[in-house]
Amino acid sequence: MHQRPSILARTWTTPVILIAILLAVALAAVAVSTGPFNQTVIEIFIRVVLVVGLYVFIGNSGVISFGHIGFTCLGAYMTAWLTMLPAIKKSKLKGLPDIILNAKLQYGWGLLAAAVFAAVCAYVIGKVLMRLSGIAASIASFAVLAVIIQVYSNWDSVTGAQSSVVGIPIIRTIWPYFACAVIVVVVAYFYSISRSGLALRAARDEATAAAASGVDIPRERLIAFVISGAMMGLGGALFAHSVGVVTPDTFYLGLTFITLSMLVVGGMNSLSGAVLGVVVLSTIIQVLRWFEKGIDVGGTVLTIPNGVQEIAIGIVMIVILMFRPTGMTRNRELVWPGKKLSAEAGAMPSSADGKTAKT
Amino acid sequence: MKSYLKIGMGAALSALILSAPGAFADDEKIVVGFATAASGFMQAYDKPAEDAARIRIDEINKAGGLLGKQIEMVAADTKTDRAEGAKAGLEVIDKGADLVVVSCDYDFGAPAALAAEGAGKVSFFLCAESVKAGIQGVGPHSFSASVLAAVQGATMAEWAYTKKNARNFYRLLDTWTEYNKGICDGFDYQLPKLADAKLVGEDTFKNDDPSIAAQITRIKSLPQEPDAIMLCTMMPGAVSAIKQLRAAGINSMILNGSGVSGSYWLSAVPDLSNFFVPDQGSVHGDDPNPKVNEFNAKYKEVTGGDPSSQYVYPGYVMIDVWAKAVERAGTTEASAVVAELEKMKDEPTLFGPRTFTSELHHQNKGRYLITEISGGKPKVVDEWTISEPIPVDYLASK
Amino acid sequence: MTAILQILFDALSLGSLYALGALGIALIFGVMRLVNFAHGDYIAFCVFALLWPSIDAAAIVFAGNLPTFLLIPLILGIGAGLSVLSEILIFRRFRNANPATMMIASFALGFIIKYFLLMLYSSRPKSIDLWSNLSQQIEIFGARIPPLQVITICTTIVILIALTAFLKRTRFGLEMRAAAENFTMARMLGVRANRVIMLAFAISGMLAAAVGLILVTQTGTVDINMGANLMLVAFVATVIGGLGSLPGAVVAGFLIGGLSSLMQAYLPADARPFRDAFVYGAVIVMLIWRPNGLFSSKAVKQRV
Repeated sequence: MHQRPSILARTWTTPVILIAILLAVALAAVAVSTGPFNQTVIEIFIRVVLVVGLYVFIGNSGVISFGHIGFTCLGAYMTAWLTMLPAIKKSKLKGLPDIILNAKLQYGWGLLAAAVFAAVCAYVIGKVLMRLSGIAASIASFAVLAVIIQVYSNWDSVTGAQSSVVGIPIIRTIWPYFACAVIVVVVAYFYSISRSGLALRAARDEATAAAASGVDIPRERLIAFVISGAMMGLGGALFAHSVGVVTPDTFYLGLTFITLSMLVVGGMNSLSGAVLGVVVLSTIIQVLRWFEKGIDVGGTVLTIPNGVQEIAIGIVMIVILMFRPTGMTRNRELVWPGKKLSAEAGAMPSSADGKTAKT
Repeated sequence: MKSYLKIGMGAALSALILSAPGAFADDEKIVVGFATAASGFMQAYDKPAEDAARIRIDEINKAGGLLGKQIEMVAADTKTDRAEGAKAGLEVIDKGADLVVVSCDYDFGAPAALAAEGAGKVSFFLCAESVKAGIQGVGPHSFSASVLAAVQGATMAEWAYTKKNARNFYRLLDTWTEYNKGICDGFDYQLPKLADAKLVGEDTFKNDDPSIAAQITRIKSLPQEPDAIMLCTMMPGAVSAIKQLRAAGINSMILNGSGVSGSYWLSAVPDLSNFFVPDQGSVHGDDPNPKVNEFNAKYKEVTGGDPSSQYVYPGYVMIDVWAKAVERAGTTEASAVVAELEKMKDEPTLFGPRTFTSELHHQNKGRYLITEISGGKPKVVDEWTISEPIPVDYLASK
Repeated sequence: MTAILQILFDALSLGSLYALGALGIALIFGVMRLVNFAHGDYIAFCVFALLWPSIDAAAIVFAGNLPTFLLIPLILGIGAGLSVLSEILIFRRFRNANPATMMIASFALGFIIKYFLLMLYSSRPKSIDLWSNLSQQIEIFGARIPPLQVITICTTIVILIALTAFLKRTRFGLEMRAAAENFTMARMLGVRANRVIMLAFAISGMLAAAVGLILVTQTGTVDINMGANLMLVAFVATVIGGLGSLPGAVVAGFLIGGLSSLMQAYLPADARPFRDAFVYGAVIVMLIWRPNGLFSSKAVKQRV
C-alpha cells in the first residue's frame, strides 16, 4: 500500500504562511512607525490571539461558545494583579491575598500566569460544562461569562469593581504581541493535527460515528477548552498591557461578538480563517477610519460621516457571509500554491458545509 | 479562491502601509489635542464640554493668544472604545499636543491619559469625577476639570440636613458605574458627621433593570417614609427609577448627583417635585452669576443649542485654569505647568473655585448650586459648599 | 400576607416582560433555527420611532403624540415591517447556512440598526412620557399594583394562548410547525415556506414593538441599548424553556424574572449587587439538569 505522507508533512505550510502574514503586518508597523499605527497593529495581534483561541475550541468542537471572553477577563486581571506596584494594590485592592499583594513581577511572568490561571479556570468550568452540546452549551457558556463579569464588577476589594484598574505597565512595542500571536498560531496548529484535535473534529462532523469509534467526546472537548482558555487568558493579559487599563465591562458582549464575528467571517473551522478574519476585518475597519478622517484622493478629500464606519463594517460582514456562508476561507486552510488542499488537518469540509449543499 | 485571498491580503497590507499621518511640531503655536469621542456612546457627553473648551480657546486667541502664540486644536476620535482611546492619545501627541484633553468619563479617558502620561504631557479629563482621574490613577501629570462625585453626595446630605431638616435618610445605589458609587461614598462619609441623622435603609439596583418594583416594596415597607432618598445613579436608569418611585406614591425628597443635571429629561416625569440636584452652574438661565448666563448665550450662539446639562462647564474651566498656569509658568513644558497648577488655591473660575495640590488634582470640596425641581420646573434655590473637604485618604481607599 | 402578595406580584411583573421578549425569540428560532440577536435592536428601533430624529438632548416627540388607537397599530406595524424587511433583505439568503453564520449575520444587522439610530438620535438617552397614568398604582388586597403591569401580564398570557391556538388550529400555523419540524420536507409537500417565515417574522417584530412600548411606558426612557439586556435574558429563557417551545419560553421567562425579584427581596444587602451572578448560576444548574430545556421538542435534538 502506498505510504501517505504524515499530516505534518502535508500541512506544515499553513502555519508558515500565517506567520508570514503576521510578520508582514509587523513589518508594516515598523515601516510606518507612528504611535497610533503601532497601536493598531498591536490590537491586530491581540485579536489574532483571541480569535485563534476561540478557533481552538469552537472550530475544532463545533460548539459555539459565548463565554470565552470571560477567560480574557480573568487573564487581564491576573496580570494586572501581579505586575502593578504593590503600593497601588494596597490602597485599591486590599482584599488580594498577601502573596499577590506584595508581588511585582515582569510582564512576561504576568502573561504566563494569566494563561495558566485562565487554563485552570477553564479546566474547572469545562469539567462541568463539557457534557453539554449544541445551543445548551452555548447558553451555559454565556451564563459563565455573565457570572464572571458580575462577580468581577462587584467584588470591590479584589477587582476594584467597575472602577478601572490602572497602573498596569504599558508595553508599546509590537514584538511581544507579535511573538504571542505566533506562539498561539503554532500551538493551535499542532493541536489541530494532534490525536486529540483530529478526534475532536471527527466528533464535530460525525458525533455518533466518532463516539462509536471510541472517542471520548467530553474529554477531547475539555482538552480543547483548556488550551483555548489559556489563549484567551493570554489575550486578556496582552490587552491589559496594551492600554494599561482594565474594567470588567471591556470583556463582555462587545468583545465577544467582535471576536466571534471575525472567526465566522474568516471561516469558523479553519485556523487560516481565524487569522484572516482578524487581518481582513481589521484592515477594512482601519481603511474606513481613514476615510472618516478624510483621505486625499487626487486633490479632493473624501470623507464619510462619523458612525458610517460601524454601519459599513456591519454591511461588509453580512455581504461576505451571504457569498461565503462558511467564511472567507470556506473553512479550508491556506497552503502553499501547487500543493493540493489537504483533506485532513482542518481542511475537511465541516458538517456545516454539508448542510450548505443545495437543497 | 487563493488568488483572491492573496490580492486581498496585498491590498490590505499596502493600505495599512500607505497612510501614515505625519508628525509635526511647531514652535509658533500651542497645540491642544482632544482625544475625545466624536462617535459612539460618549460623543453626546464629550462634544458639549469640548465646545465649551473651544469657546475659551477662541476667547484666548482673540485676546492675543497664550504666551503670544495662537492655540491650535487637533482632535482624534476615541470612538468610545478603550483601545481606540489609547490610539487617539498617541495620535494627538504625534501631532504635537502640549495639552492632551481626554474623554469625560474616567474609564474611557484613562487610556489616552495614560498615553499622555507616558509621553510626559499634561492631560486633563473633560469632566471625570473619580479620584483616579489624576495622581491616584493616571499619574502626576493628569488633572480633572470637574468636581469629585463624592462631593456631590456629601453636599446633598449636608444641605438637606441643614436646610431641609432631613433626619431619616435612605440610600439607593445603582451599582452600574464608579461614578454612582462615588456619590454614595460621599454621602456615606458625610452622614455620620451629621448629629442624629440616620440611615433607615439601603438598597441597590442596576441601571438597566426594567423594573425596580422589589426595591420600591422595600422602601414602602419601612415604618415611615424616609425624609430623603439619596439616589446615586445616572442616565438613563435614573429617569426610570425616579418615575417608578414617584408612581409608587413615594413622595420623599430625592437627593441626586449632577448626573441628572439639566431639564431635557423632565418630560418623562411630569410634575416632578421635591427633587434636588447639585449643579456647578445653572443651565436654566437663572444662575446667580450673570457671567454664567452670558456664557450660556455664547454657547447657544456657537453650537445652536442651550447647554443641556452642567457637564458643559468643566470644558471651559479646564482651558481657563490650564492657560493661567501656562501664562504663569511662561512655558507649556509639563512639569512647570503642573507646578503652577498645584499652586492654585481657590482659583476663581466662572463655575466655582478650583484648588489643586501635589496630593490631589481634583476638587474634594466645591461650591454647588442647588437646583430644585418643583412642579416639573427647575429653579436654583440655594448654594452650598461642604464645611470640610473630603479627606484624600478616604477617597483613595474607595 | 400582603408582603408576600406584593413580592409575588413584583416577580410576575418582571417575569412577564421577559416572557414576552422570549416569545419573540422563540418563535423565530422555532421556525428557522435562527437566534436573532437583532431582536433587542428591533425593540429600540420601535421605541425611537416615537420620536422625531434629532441629536438634541431634549426629545422631540412625534409619533408618540398620536392617539392611542393609532399609535399602537403604528408601532406594532413598524416592528413587523422592520422584522419582515430584515428577513427579505438578509435572512432569506441564509436559509441553509449553519446556525453560527445566521447568528453572526443577525448580530451584524443589530449592529447596523444600533449605529443607524445612533447617527439619527445621538447616544444620549431621551425621555418621553407615554401613558403615565398607567403607572399610577392601585391597591389590591393591600398590594400596590400599577395597571401597566396587569396589562403586561395579561398581554403575555393572551398572546401565548392566541399564538398557541394559531399554531395548532390554523392552516398557517400547521405550515409553520411543519416548517419547523423539517423545512425541506415541508416545502416539498407544498408549504409556502417563505410566506410562513415572513409571517413568523412579522409576529416576532410585533412582539418586539409591544415589549418596547411597555418598557418605555414603565421607564420613560428611550435609549439605544434599552432592548439589549432584556433580549439576553429572553434568549436565555428561550433555551431553558426548550428551544422552539413557546409555553416553555414563557414559563422560563417568568421563572427568571421571579428568581431575580425574589433575590432582590431576600438577599442580604451585601450580596444584592451579585444578584445577576446568582441568577446566571441558577441558569447553569438548570441547563446541566435539563440540557434540552423544560419543554423540549423533538425537532431540537436532531437539528441543533
